[in-house]
Amino acid sequence: MSGRVGTRVAVAVAVALAVVSLPLVVDDRFILKVLTLVGINVIIVIGLSLLFGYAGQISLGHAAFVGIGAYTSAILTARFGWPWLAAVAVAILLAAASGLVLAIPSLRLRGHYLAMATLGFGQIMFVLFVEFREYTGGPDGLSGIPDPSVGGFAIASAGADYTLVWIVAIAVFVLAGNMVRLRPGRALKALHGSEIGAEASGVDTVRLKLKVFTLSTALAGLAGALYAHHLGFISPSAFSLEFSIVLVAMVVVGGMGSLWGAVVGAVLLTLLPFLDAIVPGMPREVSSALQDWQAGIYGMTLILMMIFAPGGLASVARKLTRRVRQRRGEGDTTEGDTT
Amino acid sequence: MTLLHVEGLTKRFGGLTAVDGVTFTVYEGVIQAVIGPNGAGKTTLFNLLTGFDRADEGSADFEGASILEMRPHRVVKQGLARTFQNTQLFDNMTALDNVLVGRYSRTKTGMVAAALRLPGVGKEERLATEYAHRLLRLVDIDDIADASAADLPHGTRRLLEIARALATEPRLLLLDEPAAGLNTAETGVLAEALYRIRDTGVSLVVVEHDMGLVMEVSDEIIVLNQGRKIAEGPPLLIQKDPRVIEAYLGETESEMMDDA
Repeated sequence: MSGRVGTRVAVAVAVALAVVSLPLVVDDRFILKVLTLVGINVIIVIGLSLLFGYAGQISLGHAAFVGIGAYTSAILTARFGWPWLAAVAVAILLAAASGLVLAIPSLRLRGHYLAMATLGFGQIMFVLFVEFREYTGGPDGLSGIPDPSVGGFAIASAGADYTLVWIVAIAVFVLAGNMVRLRPGRALKALHGSEIGAEASGVDTVRLKLKVFTLSTALAGLAGALYAHHLGFISPSAFSLEFSIVLVAMVVVGGMGSLWGAVVGAVLLTLLPFLDAIVPGMPREVSSALQDWQAGIYGMTLILMMIFAPGGLASVARKLTRRVRQRRGEGDTTEGDTT
Repeated sequence: MTLLHVEGLTKRFGGLTAVDGVTFTVYEGVIQAVIGPNGAGKTTLFNLLTGFDRADEGSADFEGASILEMRPHRVVKQGLARTFQNTQLFDNMTALDNVLVGRYSRTKTGMVAAALRLPGVGKEERLATEYAHRLLRLVDIDDIADASAADLPHGTRRLLEIARALATEPRLLLLDEPAAGLNTAETGVLAEALYRIRDTGVSLVVVEHDMGLVMEVSDEIIVLNQGRKIAEGPPLLIQKDPRVIEAYLGETESEMMDDA
């Protein structure tokens, strides 16, 4: 038993190392940049998965928290010359604080009110990103955001940036994975299963919802900060309602209540518009059509998933493995599985 | 020893007085039943006592604590747990995990401690899991520990919800129609479970329509009608009480004879 766990940990560590050290093999700057974007979205979607996939609380304004993180870190470093680490820390805190401030009134409400409140908040933040020209650069965006640097060491190359983002993404994945398997994670799932049942089991549901919303917005802020320094340029359009909806789609496609699903959803939907870079020999027309129809494709994917696989890819995978196991069981005994 | 004392409890919904000045006491180590026709105020009574609804008047003293103002999770922490007429299980989780959620108020591991696997987290998890298995065995359903709660038959779900409530380490457990929808065999299993629970030192208050079960298991019966307590006493006296026969059993006399 412990041997099996040991093997699993070894495999996980090997996969993580392989992901992080990819720039040793791949030196195409564009591909590395796209894959860095994937890592950033993985961080956001893990946070959104805890909130929406586990606890069942929807946010239609998560892009705004990514934006708060991105603008905070960008403005502090580019305009005020703050060190990168301090700026990122403040970006996380500010995103989390705005999350908390929004959550306190709206989480007391049930059902669709949280969706409405986050939707409204996202729109308000979008307007603020555009209108606070003096700091945000308005609709033209904010450029000249410095590379991440710690104590004089700049993380300047595409490869180094990729490695930084994926180390953070994997750390977030491992920490969130630990969390969901234990007491707090079970309480989150309980919220989703039956809020009344959770209260009757001794869970302070209001407090727990505040916590997970704040945690989720903190992760969005972290990802936003990484995004700003990764691209060196940000503009409001990156943090629009459309991105919020894409984030929700990533959770749904991957599967509610599965962190692996969240990762797969983030990877697939982030790569979709960049297929031509990943798949060699793909015609330009196909990839530009994909980009033009991006929102429509996400929408269709959401609808199809809801109809054919409401549990997301994670549940499809679970069903397949179960079926394979049952097949094997039938092969071994003549009677087959009785259940 | 007095566990719970309720005094003059009243709840009005608009013009309807659902619970009307109800007074009663629950002692340690008993199984007490609350019966009454539909709409007598039984479930409202439970909701008032467990923080799911606010009383208009009256008081409820549970082991020295005034519980009427508390939110549900605080009431649980005080040692008063409940189940629901429509089971409120977590269908997205296994049976074992359902019971483990019941350990929430008696365990400490927070988000940071869990994420970082701080020392003590593993031990608490192991102890909680052992505790949960012990409760599943107590209600005799440990064989389905790893099954999804959604896949369980109705009778098993009721027992699972009881196990989850017990995981909060209650001194008093309120069961809202635990036998509803159970067949005779399942009701038998339930009755055995109720005795075993009482023998672990947990008192029980059971709202129930199954008169056979009520007469069999309860030490004391409270009869409600239109929000008012109209009788109280041991099963044999309640069955003969003219007020009960007239106000409650009388209107469905034949049914009562069938059930009892």
